[in-house]
Amino acid sequence: MTETGLAGTSEQEMGPTTLSRRRVLQLGALALPAICGARLVSGVLAGSEADAVRAAQEEAPAETYDPSAHSWAFAVDTTTCIGCGRCVEACKLENHVPEAPEFNRTWVELHVVDQDGTVHVSAPDGGVHGFPTEETLPAAAAATVRDAYFVPRLCMQCENPPCTWVCPVSATYRTEDGVVLVDENRCIGCGYCMVACPYGARYMVPAGDTTPKGVSGVVDKCTFCYHRITRGQQPACAEVCPANARIFGDLNDAASPVSVALSEQRVRVMKPALGTKPHVYYTGLEGEVE
Amino acid sequence: MSVQVAGRTLSTDPRVALRAIRLEVAGTPRPLKLWFALLTALCLVGAIGAVIALPPGWEVLGTTPTFEWGILITGYVFFAITTSGLCLASSLGTVFGIEMFIPLEKRHAILALLSLITAFGLIALDLHYPVRMVFGAILSPSPFSPMWWMGVFYGVYLVFLLVEVWSMFTGHWQTHRIACTLSSITAVLAPTTLGAVFGVLAARPYWHGAFTPPAMVTTAFLSGIALLGIVFALVHRFQLAGWERATTLAIPAIRLLLTITLVVTVLVVTWQMMFGLYGVVPGLADATKALLIGPLALGFWIFRVFLGLAVPLVLVLLPRTRTPAGLFAASCLAFVGLLADRMIFVSAGQIAPGTAVSGVVSSPWAVYTPSLVEISIVIGAFAFFALVYTLAERYLPMGEHEGHLAGAILGSSNPVATALVEASDAIPPAAPIPPAAPIPPAAPVPPAAPVLEPAGGAS
Repeated sequence: MTETGLAGTSEQEMGPTTLSRRRVLQLGALALPAICGARLVSGVLAGSEADAVRAAQEEAPAETYDPSAHSWAFAVDTTTCIGCGRCVEACKLENHVPEAPEFNRTWVELHVVDQDGTVHVSAPDGGVHGFPTEETLPAAAAATVRDAYFVPRLCMQCENPPCTWVCPVSATYRTEDGVVLVDENRCIGCGYCMVACPYGARYMVPAGDTTPKGVSGVVDKCTFCYHRITRGQQPACAEVCPANARIFGDLNDAASPVSVALSEQRVRVMKPALGTKPHVYYTGLEGEVE
Repeated sequence: MSVQVAGRTLSTDPRVALRAIRLEVAGTPRPLKLWFALLTALCLVGAIGAVIALPPGWEVLGTTPTFEWGILITGYVFFAITTSGLCLASSLGTVFGIEMFIPLEKRHAILALLSLITAFGLIALDLHYPVRMVFGAILSPSPFSPMWWMGVFYGVYLVFLLVEVWSMFTGHWQTHRIACTLSSITAVLAPTTLGAVFGVLAARPYWHGAFTPPAMVTTAFLSGIALLGIVFALVHRFQLAGWERATTLAIPAIRLLLTITLVVTVLVVTWQMMFGLYGVVPGLADATKALLIGPLALGFWIFRVFLGLAVPLVLVLLPRTRTPAGLFAASCLAFVGLLADRMIFVSAGQIAPGTAVSGVVSSPWAVYTPSLVEISIVIGAFAFFALVYTLAERYLPMGEHEGHLAGAILGSSNPVATALVEASDAIPPAAPIPPAAPIPPAAPVPPAAPVLEPAGGAS
């Protein structure tokens, strides 16, 4: 009955331009792909929204957390690092980093300086298994070693990050508390931020692996374990370090370990000439470490 | 139902269309059939590669965290730059009214459009989320990103180019002239922003600097001209539509432009190397070393310098080789040299890693080996480009005509231009072509073919 009524109304309103059956079919044929397309698009967007909500629930800072009250920073003491690789292992476990050695949020390098000042760098498996002698430094084997030290690496969380400037869809950004993050639901996987990063701190999540939030094919990087630090915890790598070589804290808090380290020791940042203003500071480095 | 194509009414009845295709294939000369078969096969190879590489198939790419941009990006840069060069070359005739360049028009526009579409196809396959990119670029624009501007300019350029092609084949000359002017402007802006995508990266000293965008425009011009050289030498060789005018006007014009752009490119490459050698910037010095004596040296010296620049320059300068065949050889070599240049450019920026190659004992050079899937996609892209262009050459009215010429120089009071339009039929034909040409000129579809209905036929 309703159908009849509607049809009647339709005919009365349309008058001479009443739709023929063929026209209705034609319109239907046009409308079907349009509806499917709209459904697809809305599905994609809805999926993104759902993901975003899920991500927010997973990584949401504690309710009392105020980003504007913090300025997170990291100090790396290369004089105490023993190259055990526990930090790399902890990071991989904590952040769902792929096991393959070329994918790392953090890794450890061994720098060996020979007599003429040449620096030989090695990072077998990103240092996750430590530094077995037989796998380390074939290039420096015959050299007379003047100095050697381990250099833990991670995202520098730059104050002026080149990666965020170049992203064409604003998927990577710097938070108010000084951490550079990636919005996995916006990242298009172009890799531009990866080639823009002077520190090699980003990697593309390979097929078969996902980010902690379950997304594949997007860029991932160190977040200082944002899900932990916003709940008052330490980043996984700093927490497991047996030599206290990784020091994390809040620059706004004069008593935090990182503030103390920065005030008591002479520190340097990597590639200062680029003007990126890293928030990861190193002590005990010899010469220019790139 | 029927549709109007190039002044003919074609039936859309599948059975009739199928019969028409069968008749057309039967009437196609054998060498052309083989050419189509080869290109179709290569397109299929590329299509298979593309299907494998579709998300989430990106593990089939050979790129690594230290060498993120591979040959798909190289292919994109190559085609995106070539399309700009083609448009710039044509603007000399249409926008600036230089008569000798006017015969380049139709072919350049088709080539430019195809080149742009191929470039878009390659970048879509390289991106992991191309659909998200379209939404992201509009909903969360990033005006500080050169890549965002590159997308904007190439998108706008596509629209102008479509209008240009449409107006050209439908005789809307006023619209055509405006579209040509606008597309020429974006054809300069687009490659400069593409250059800026690389140029702003302080982390990659070989790419970094204000020198990169103008170098991109220079090589854009060279690649566009080289492609026109190849096409017009073939137009002359096979006596395709408008070949008389192509022989008398286009070929000398292309030779002149090729000579100039080759010389300018030699200067660009020379100074790039000199700056690399003089510099103390670690990444730049390392990349220059990789080019001159390192892992990229073979490609650089053989393909880029010797085959891509030196030999073409000799061919266009020597009186003995100043022939259509000589131009063809010079253009082909310059084109191959530019392809090598794009590969070298993309590689050199990444070959000297800023950090130790994580995961392995550090080596001085980052390593990248393209996967079979990547190679097949790039081959397929070139085959697609050649296939669609050959189809256009065979079935679209590619010869320039008076209306086109008049439209191109509309408003020009240049008496030579006016005379050219008036006397376009009087241009003497070129030297006779040997009768043993492997591919005869495209035969028009017989008017009595059953598929062709009289104009205005019943649907």
